Amino acid sequence: MLRYILKRLITTLPLLLGMSLILFALMKMTPGNYFDSLKLNPQISPETIDRYIKLYQLDKPLLVQYFSWLTNILHLEFGYSFFYNIPVANVIGGRIWNTFILSFVSLILTWGVAIPLGICAAIYRNKFADRLIQFLSYVALSSPSFFIAMLLLYFVSQSGFLPLGGMHSANYEEFNWIGRFFDVLRHVAIPAIALSIASIGALQRIMRGNMLEVLGQQYILTARAKGLPEQRVIYVHALRNAINPLITLLGYEFSGLLSGAALLEIICSWPGLGALMLTAVQSKDIYLVMATSLMGSVLLIMGNLLADILLVRLDPRIRYE
Amino acid sequence: MNKSALGLSQWERALTQFCANRFAVVCLIILALIHGAAIFADFLAPYSFSNEDRTFSYAPPSKIHFIDENGQWRAPFIYGRKITFDQYHKREYLDQVEQKYSLRFFVKGDAYKILWMVPCSWHLFGVKEGGRIYLCGADSRGRDLFSRLLHGARISLSIGIVGVLISFSIGLLVGGIAGYYGGKVDDILMRVCEMFMLFPGFYLLLALRAVVPASFTSVQVYVSIIIILSFIGWASLARVIRGMCLSLKEREYVLAAKTMGLSDLTIIIRHILPHTLSYSLIAVMLSIPGYILAESSLSLIGLGIQDPYASWGNLLSEAMGIVKIKFAPWILLPGFFILVTVMCFNIVGDALRDALDPKSS
Amino acid sequence: MAYFFSNYHCFLRSVFIVFFFLVSAVARADVPRYGGSLILSSTSDPKSFNDITAQETSTHTVTGNIFEGLTRLNAITLKVEPALAQSWEVSEDGRAWTFHLRPKVVWNDGLPFSADDVVFTFNDLIYNEDIVSSARDIFKIGDEIFKVEKVDDLTVRFTLPVKFAPFLQSMSQSILPKHKLAKAVAEKKFNFTWGIDTPPAEIVGTGPFKLESYRPGERFVLVRNPLYWKKSANGDALPYLDRIIYLIVQNQDTAMLKFLDGEVDLISLRGFEYPMIKPLEAKKNFTVYDSGPDFGSSFFVFNQNTSRNPKTQKPFVDPVKSKWFLDINFRRAIAHAIDKTKMIEILMNGLGYPQNSDMSESAGFFYNPNVEIYEYDLSKAKRILSDAGYRDRDGDGVIEDSSGHPIEFNLFTNSGNVERVQIASIIRHDLQSLGMKVNFLSLEFNTLVTKLNATFDWDAIVLGLTGGIEPHFGKNVWHSTGGLHLWYPQQKTPATAWEKRVDEIFDQGVQELDENKRKTLYDEFQVIISRQLPLIYTVLNSNLYAVRNKFGNLHPTSFGGAFHNIEEIYIK
Repeated sequence: MLRYILKRLITTLPLLLGMSLILFALMKMTPGNYFDSLKLNPQISPETIDRYIKLYQLDKPLLVQYFSWLTNILHLEFGYSFFYNIPVANVIGGRIWNTFILSFVSLILTWGVAIPLGICAAIYRNKFADRLIQFLSYVALSSPSFFIAMLLLYFVSQSGFLPLGGMHSANYEEFNWIGRFFDVLRHVAIPAIALSIASIGALQRIMRGNMLEVLGQQYILTARAKGLPEQRVIYVHALRNAINPLITLLGYEFSGLLSGAALLEIICSWPGLGALMLTAVQSKDIYLVMATSLMGSVLLIMGNLLADILLVRLDPRIRYE
Repeated sequence: MNKSALGLSQWERALTQFCANRFAVVCLIILALIHGAAIFADFLAPYSFSNEDRTFSYAPPSKIHFIDENGQWRAPFIYGRKITFDQYHKREYLDQVEQKYSLRFFVKGDAYKILWMVPCSWHLFGVKEGGRIYLCGADSRGRDLFSRLLHGARISLSIGIVGVLISFSIGLLVGGIAGYYGGKVDDILMRVCEMFMLFPGFYLLLALRAVVPASFTSVQVYVSIIIILSFIGWASLARVIRGMCLSLKEREYVLAAKTMGLSDLTIIIRHILPHTLSYSLIAVMLSIPGYILAESSLSLIGLGIQDPYASWGNLLSEAMGIVKIKFAPWILLPGFFILVTVMCFNIVGDALRDALDPKSS
Repeated sequence: MAYFFSNYHCFLRSVFIVFFFLVSAVARADVPRYGGSLILSSTSDPKSFNDITAQETSTHTVTGNIFEGLTRLNAITLKVEPALAQSWEVSEDGRAWTFHLRPKVVWNDGLPFSADDVVFTFNDLIYNEDIVSSARDIFKIGDEIFKVEKVDDLTVRFTLPVKFAPFLQSMSQSILPKHKLAKAVAEKKFNFTWGIDTPPAEIVGTGPFKLESYRPGERFVLVRNPLYWKKSANGDALPYLDRIIYLIVQNQDTAMLKFLDGEVDLISLRGFEYPMIKPLEAKKNFTVYDSGPDFGSSFFVFNQNTSRNPKTQKPFVDPVKSKWFLDINFRRAIAHAIDKTKMIEILMNGLGYPQNSDMSESAGFFYNPNVEIYEYDLSKAKRILSDAGYRDRDGDGVIEDSSGHPIEFNLFTNSGNVERVQIASIIRHDLQSLGMKVNFLSLEFNTLVTKLNATFDWDAIVLGLTGGIEPHFGKNVWHSTGGLHLWYPQQKTPATAWEKRVDEIFDQGVQELDENKRKTLYDEFQVIISRQLPLIYTVLNSNLYAVRNKFGNLHPTSFGGAFHNIEEIYIK
């Protein structure tokens, strides 16, 4: 097992390198860099701008810039953010946790809602409940999440029972830990719901399919024939086998949430990586972009790995060498 | 063994099963209608996509009347309207009773070319010069939303279809080659695929969009958006195709083709890939929505199709504001169109899967 | 006072006409109270807390409350008034300025403020070649810097190379503490000092508030500086407010909903939002102020660059197109095709102003209303064009110039600003109906900037600049050597007679200490611009904002916004 994990990690390393090089080249290929916007400020002289370029080695060839960045990474130096004038790690540090919270809550919400819905739909196959769930799933799958967030915000503003955007109340510091927990939870509700809706639709349909497949298996028939109560058949025997294949999805979902949330974070003013990344890409704050997307990719790799390990734990038939 | 007869019967069976799913058939019809409307948008829409009248900024949908102000029945008509701003600077459109414009069919209007070839200026319906008919209301500059929706369908739908076709061609080819040759080639190609899948998609989209030269005209921007979307989308498909090829290449007829001395590329294209057709068809149906949605998020941040050209994405991006939703709710319609189209593609794709994949039934 | 390119719409919250009424309205006997918080929203994070190296306005939102300069501009009278300097005198020749610092001022960590800090800020920070700062460009005349010396602990002398009319205004430059920063400067680390990751207690200023906490992407909180030197007229130690909380809300709609929800105390409105907010005034207990035209400008500009690319020897602009863009009649025709009335109606629900001159009406003293005005008249535009030889010769619907080239050019604007994209689209539509073929594209801001000042490969652009009340701070735009002389930047010698005259006006104006003589000069400059149309102006927003009805001493002004006198504001 350990060997397998190590091997996986080693094989992904060149992928990460390749990806970062492509991204680096892309950022460099685009015309103009961050300092161009400074050039339009009439009170900044060209000499000032030249000084900036020297400071960040922007005048060296592409590969030199890339490798100096890479060597710095090995020293856990992620470079400077031109925009914020501080190390990239310090810009990202505070926000990665927020994005994690949003992703985590949304993940729990997705699974918490989709799995029961999928089971319900499978049990009542082709009945009204199933039809309704399927229809709603299609609607959920088909609506852009930024749009849902916008509408949610609007409706919530009419009723006023949830805070609109942000992550903490103004008097957050005065709460005890329970108060703080619920405060964050209330704030995370809207972006998490908007982020989850499409995934709920997708996951529900997969769960339903798996459940139907399992319910058609021999051992379920056997169990029923033995006269086991239906509840027990479904929730003990069928459910376990239907959920297993879903575990692999968990990894993908986790990292997908990270990049899917950019527009959403802006609309809900959630202080996460997505909003940061969007402005960073647009202003070509190159080291910030590199670090953030590297982080996203690492998260994806970790997610996949985690899913595979979980799968082994849950399904005795699978072995990795 | 007669392969074609076997294939046909398989497709026939699938067709029967697909038709049994009435919901999916309805969706397919809706899709056909939307695509038809997109092709004949010039004729069906009363105005061209750029025909504007600034005196009708955010004019609500025209009410079609059958009874005039004296209570008399007449042929369908609309009243002329005039804008005023109330004390809160809110737009109000007042019907001008003395100005009546009757609704007419087959009227002359903006010139266009049928199917991009035959010049023509007939439109299905319209009102006479001086009046403006807004079936779905007007946008900020008084352009007819209904006309723009139809013209936008052209761009949005074609981005989906063309984009998917391109990324599928790449995916099929790469997947086919990787699966067929196996070994080192497979290893390298699959690592490349994984690399693309490791990118956070939306950021890659932004970075690539930034590479597009600024001097591009609208048409070139449109083409480059399609290419960018395809560029991001092909990797996951290639992986699946590769998996299928791995098992297909051990089949007898492939071995037979090999002994006959056919070139590798011929074998891949003529004998292996066609067997992935049913899967590909399903995947095409299920991937198109992704492209339509991706275009709309690009438009949301102003990097999609540029004005005056319309796409559902850039029409919807105009509606992304609470004030606009409140005072001109009709500009949400493009969102509804996106929703319905994407949903239909999903439903039809699923129904196809059920029909083509015997396991699932 | 900075003159920036305005990328996103920057709302300078201000009132011009309204404040006269307010002054009298507020005069009733309210006794100011201490305590309470003011909650504001900000569209972006501060990029730094370092006022010297900061490159953009979002940082000044924070630092403006923490640091002070020797002087400040009174936002009501628009005159310079004492701040850290109590008084000053100037020598006969207008070049030596002596400032007498206010005694007993302390930094918010308790240490005394003195002449050393002023000298340090100029000699060791602003004039330090190792430090990257835009401030240096302001305090340099030609290549010469100001000589800054300490006379005694409370006296500083500035010696200027030549006379400099906006000198007192420029002295609002924030003074930074020597005792906190000298070490970083010595270690050459100042460029990276006081970034957003600095512990709040380290940020030391003399202003009415100090930084309490900062959560990236969420909020920053300023807390009352109990050591602040200023007293109110009746002897109260200022400021009254306990805290200023800035919530970071990127999306304007979310910010608006937060305001309606009562979470935020002030919101800048765009014209089209007015009908949504205004009717709720009574119900939600706030007041909407309309303060007249915005500062800054919004314009259409043609590329008149006639120089050649030194590498390829090709002209930057196709000589065929260049001929049109240099033709004043061509530009006049375009000026008549700008539908300002409808732009204001469509984009701002009628709450905007047509712009005719570089100086905004809100700028007051230097604003010249008597400039050339071009009414929207497409047939007149068409006539001007055809008189100048631009007409459709082959009947294809596109006009050609006298040598038969069809008029076709690219029009760019930046994609971040929805309003500007709309303005460009409207102009494009009208130009099409004049028979020109215009390819419109909205570009990402940085790409556009590269074109403007590096590659020069553009034909026409719709853009905006921020503005102020002092015309000289726009020198970089108007002087033909300027980097922001958009239509033909950094000329060796002025390309046209009128550009030469504008150069003279700016060179004279900065050395002219008589305000009225200066006004005559800058009036002439505005007239020249309106006749020659290097920039063809479009429309300006009204400055609109809604403020919750709970603040005392509120005297909103055009220049300073609602809370320019933040230290005197209290909660009723």
